[in-house]
Amino acid sequence: MHRAVLVTGALFVAVGLALFGAKTLRFGIPVAPTENLGPWQVELRISARGEGARGSVRALLPSTEGGQVIFDERSSGDRLQFSIRERAGTRIGVWTGWLQDVHDVVYQFRVQNHAVTTPLPAQGPYPKPSRQLMSVWGAPSPGIPSDSPAVAELLETLNPPQATDQPARIRTLYSFVSHEVATVDSASSDALLTLSRREGNPEGKERLLVALLRAAGIPARLVHGLELRVGTPPEELLWVEAWVSDAWVPMSAVHDFFETTPENFIVLGRSNVSTVEATGVSAVGHRFQSLREHLRPDEIANLLAPDNALLAWMSLYRLPVGWQSVLRVLLLVPLGVLIVAAFRNVVGITTYGTFMPVLIALALRGFPLGLGLALVALVILLGFLARFALERLRLLMVPRLSIVLCVVVLAVTVLALSGQDTGQSEFFAGALLPIVILTMLIERVYITTSEEGATQALLRAFWSVLVAAAIHPIFRSTHAEYLMFSFPELVFVVMGMLVWLGGYMGYRVTDLVRFRELALGDAGGGASR
Amino acid sequence: MIGVLKRLGILGINRRNADYTLAWNARRLYPLVDDKLATKRLCQAAGIPVPKLLAVARNQIEARRLLDELEAEPTFVLKPARGAMGNGILVLEQRDGQLWRGSRVYSREDFAYHAAGIISGLYSLAGHADEAMVEERLEIDAVLAPLRDDGVPDIRVIVYRGIPVMSMMRLPTRSSGGRANLHQGAVGLGIDLVTGRVVHAMLRGRSIDKSPDTGMPLRDVELPDFDRVLRTAVAATDQTGLGYVGADVVLDARRGPMVLELNARPGLSIQLANRAGLLPRLAAVDARLGPRGSPDLGLDLGERIEFGRSVAARLSR
Repeated sequence: MHRAVLVTGALFVAVGLALFGAKTLRFGIPVAPTENLGPWQVELRISARGEGARGSVRALLPSTEGGQVIFDERSSGDRLQFSIRERAGTRIGVWTGWLQDVHDVVYQFRVQNHAVTTPLPAQGPYPKPSRQLMSVWGAPSPGIPSDSPAVAELLETLNPPQATDQPARIRTLYSFVSHEVATVDSASSDALLTLSRREGNPEGKERLLVALLRAAGIPARLVHGLELRVGTPPEELLWVEAWVSDAWVPMSAVHDFFETTPENFIVLGRSNVSTVEATGVSAVGHRFQSLREHLRPDEIANLLAPDNALLAWMSLYRLPVGWQSVLRVLLLVPLGVLIVAAFRNVVGITTYGTFMPVLIALALRGFPLGLGLALVALVILLGFLARFALERLRLLMVPRLSIVLCVVVLAVTVLALSGQDTGQSEFFAGALLPIVILTMLIERVYITTSEEGATQALLRAFWSVLVAAAIHPIFRSTHAEYLMFSFPELVFVVMGMLVWLGGYMGYRVTDLVRFRELALGDAGGGASR
Repeated sequence: MIGVLKRLGILGINRRNADYTLAWNARRLYPLVDDKLATKRLCQAAGIPVPKLLAVARNQIEARRLLDELEAEPTFVLKPARGAMGNGILVLEQRDGQLWRGSRVYSREDFAYHAAGIISGLYSLAGHADEAMVEERLEIDAVLAPLRDDGVPDIRVIVYRGIPVMSMMRLPTRSSGGRANLHQGAVGLGIDLVTGRVVHAMLRGRSIDKSPDTGMPLRDVELPDFDRVLRTAVAATDQTGLGYVGADVVLDARRGPMVLELNARPGLSIQLANRAGLLPRLAAVDARLGPRGSPDLGLDLGERIEFGRSVAARLSR
């Protein structure tokens, strides 16, 4: 290895390690992800299209309450004025202004949540709700037809325990909606239709439960919330709270919980309206994204510390959630190429395409290795058969490659459909594109097969897969992901190691294999020299 | 094991890439050797013999008309101008009405399809668009003919900074499909630079004594016209400006040595065929010519070949 190479590599490694060391030693950022998982990062992105009129966009904003702690809130209004209003304990973010073309409103927060149980009191006496409480949460309201004759009729049939035993009354009504009314996603969200058909969509069922509770004299309300999930966007959902003895008891006849909200459910607010509303716009849409973090809240605060402006500026944790998800994967790629470089320049094996193993590993990130390899093998086999069938037509290369690509796209589509049935659908989203890139692999496998024989083609495919398999566990490791994302300066270390690898002048393992006869033969006859 | 290879001075791939091809072969000169048509023009301009070019197709229309230009030729070779490792070469030995015989029987359509595949870049190094060229089929020298069944043997000479340092003959076999490529099963024959005799033969990394196809003994076969082979090889590499080149020379029965192609990344198996390492010879050349940028010693072709031979003779002792 030349001196210059050695020094350059060392320089890169030193810079990377110095930054890494400063962050871990001086600022105490942990090297490994926290065992018990940290907070969630949630982002609400609203797109509103306006035609020059004055209008506003409103969204329910979560508050710190019960088991959930909201912190690190940020909002960007895209030319609109942002303010927060509070109504009956629910915070509403309002963005107002002249709406012209598309406005992208973003609201981000972090939330640390743990499950809190609000049990029904074991015994009375149960105080009566105040008149004010009754007027807000006990009376019929739009969408909550607690005064309808059908509801009254049902109450009579159910004949719940006396009004003095509120917990028993609540249990009876909850049990009715939970067990006697079916949940059908395509059914109505209207409480009365749900009641008459004995089936409703999740919203219809929860509205019916609220209507029944209010009709039975128990204050009740709808809660808008999010179910946070790993790997997929959060789901917006509704549940119910019933008032007993100065406490709001959570329950859901759809998501099957009572007294205890699951840990991954967070409250956005209580309102009869939707999560996001707008006036003065021609169209509005919104979506939530979320990400689970491996740091404790205090460690994140550390990363975003205002007294370390540079460190805070460099922290990837302040980026939008969508970018973070992409960067988390992207920052793993240098590790992948390092392994490819080692395999090629030190071991000396030939793979299809220089970085094809990285692509394969990337395509398989969402799957366990065995299943993933089976999928890739299946897609390649299909493409290969298509390529074989096309050979007779003698098509020119680009259209022929394109047809193989179409076959691969169709194959992946069918896989996605069957994945939906087996519950694997969530993984497909990220894996689709890299799988499609495998089309090039198919053509190369085909050409190698016809030119150098199936043995060569299989051998090279085997090496490609072997390298991909070596990279795969790294791409799936949360520890590696955490390290590279929290300490992107480690890319410098990788670069330094690549410089060293590039300056490696010694024999490759394949050189040794190729010249083994010389080496061994000469070792025997070495005495004559 | 590594120690033995080091002592023998075996050049490994990493070292070849970094210290020889990267250091001595400027990237901008690669097209001269990667494109066989360019190499051919270069050699012709310098009066170095090359196989005759019969026709070229640069696009799909020309590919379809290619056979029309070849009406008068009973036998020829179709190859990609920028092919790698002998891929995509079609040898047509005999015409039989509208059919041509080679490794199998080809119709007009087969031929046009193959040419179209070449042009669309199927066999070229990075899949770039390519040109299909048709060359005369050479007549193999009488001394070499009995050594093989099929295909044309070629003689590879490694020329470093204008000095021939090592040489080998590559003998196609039935199992190599007529291709003179060692990893496809051709026989590699180490050639003594001084005498032009076969010093050692190997097939797929193992030593052999006889031709696997014809059973002819291979040791001590003396190449005809070896002086001219070396002169042709070195003269061709002189035209390129590249510092580390493998020149492939064929011996035609009628016209003697001709340059088939040049290679800017010549393979390393030549060391196996010669049972000798390249490194000591390359070092000897560097010792004589000085480091890069040293004043030109003004050695002529003959002196350079003599020096290469003396180095080989000294080091194989």
